[in-house]
Amino acid sequence: MKKSEGELFIDHRASPGMPPAQARQLGYDPSQVGEGSLFEAATIQCQHCNRMVVRNPLRERERAFCMQCAGAYICDLCDDERRKPDYVHLPFRKVVDLVASGKATLVSMGVRPLLVPTEKKEI
Amino acid sequence: MAKRIITNVAQTWAPTANNVAATQFIATKGGSTTQVIDWLEMLLSGMATSSIPMSIQVAYSSTLGLTPSAIALPNADGPMLVNATALANVVVAYTAAATGPTPNAAATLPRMNLGFNAFGGILRWNAAPTQQWTMVGNAVNGGETVLLADSSAGQSGSGALNAHVIYEPY
Repeated sequence: MKKSEGELFIDHRASPGMPPAQARQLGYDPSQVGEGSLFEAATIQCQHCNRMVVRNPLRERERAFCMQCAGAYICDLCDDERRKPDYVHLPFRKVVDLVASGKATLVSMGVRPLLVPTEKKEI
Repeated sequence: MAKRIITNVAQTWAPTANNVAATQFIATKGGSTTQVIDWLEMLLSGMATSSIPMSIQVAYSSTLGLTPSAIALPNADGPMLVNATALANVVVAYTAAATGPTPNAAATLPRMNLGFNAFGGILRWNAAPTQQWTMVGNAVNGGETVLLADSSAGQSGSGALNAHVIYEPY
C-alpha cells in the first residue's frame, strides 16, 4: 500500500461473510468477502470529485490521471467529463478553497461541481 | 484542528432506500457556511446475532437532517485530545434527528459503498493523508455527510452494530 492510498479492511474471520449474490451487487469478488475471509484493499481518491475508489488489482483498463493536478488520479466519470467541450477544470480542493474562503457558495459537488460566486467576479 | 470521534452504538440499523431519510446513521454538518470537515476513519463492528449482510454507504445529504438531537449516551462525540481548544464554529454532529438526513442519490456525486456482514463482521476504512472524505459549508450536496445502511444494493434486514467516525473540523 502506497503512502497516498487509504485502507479498506473488512474482517469476516468470525462471520459468515457476504452471500455471493450480494457481494457481487456491492462490487466485491465473492471469494474475498466470504466466510472466514479477511479483505484488505487500497483506496484511492479522485482529485476532481472526491469519490473514493477501492483499487481493483484485477483491473486491466488504464486509470486516468490529471496533468493539471500534478498527475493525480481521477475517476472514470471525471475522465469522461473532462473530454467534453465545455469542461472547466475545477478540482475538489479548489472548490473547498473557494467555499471555505467565502468566495463562492456551494450548490452541488460531484463530477460537475456547481458554485455560485459571492463576489461580482466570475470563478 | 483537533480530531474528534463520534460514536453510534447499540442501535439496529435499518436499510434506507434512495431519497429517503435515514433513521439510524452518523452525520456531520459544518457549523458555518465556510467550515471544512474531513472524515478520517470509519469503523463498524457487527453485533447482530444472526447473519445480516449490510450495505453501508457514505454520501452527502440531499436533504439535511431536520432538528438534530443532542448526542446522548450510549453515543458520544468528543475530541481525541481532551484538552483540545474549543472550535469557534461547533460542528453539528449527530446520530438522531426529528427527520434524519436524506443521502444523495445523484449519479454524479461521490458515494462510498462498503458492505459487510453484521454477524461478527468488522469494517474499517482509513483515509490516506490528503485523501480524506471532505465536506465544506453546511448546505446540501456537500455540506453534510451521512453514514448509513442502504437498501439499494439488496440489503433487506436490519443489523445491530457499533460504529464510530473520526473526523477533523477546521
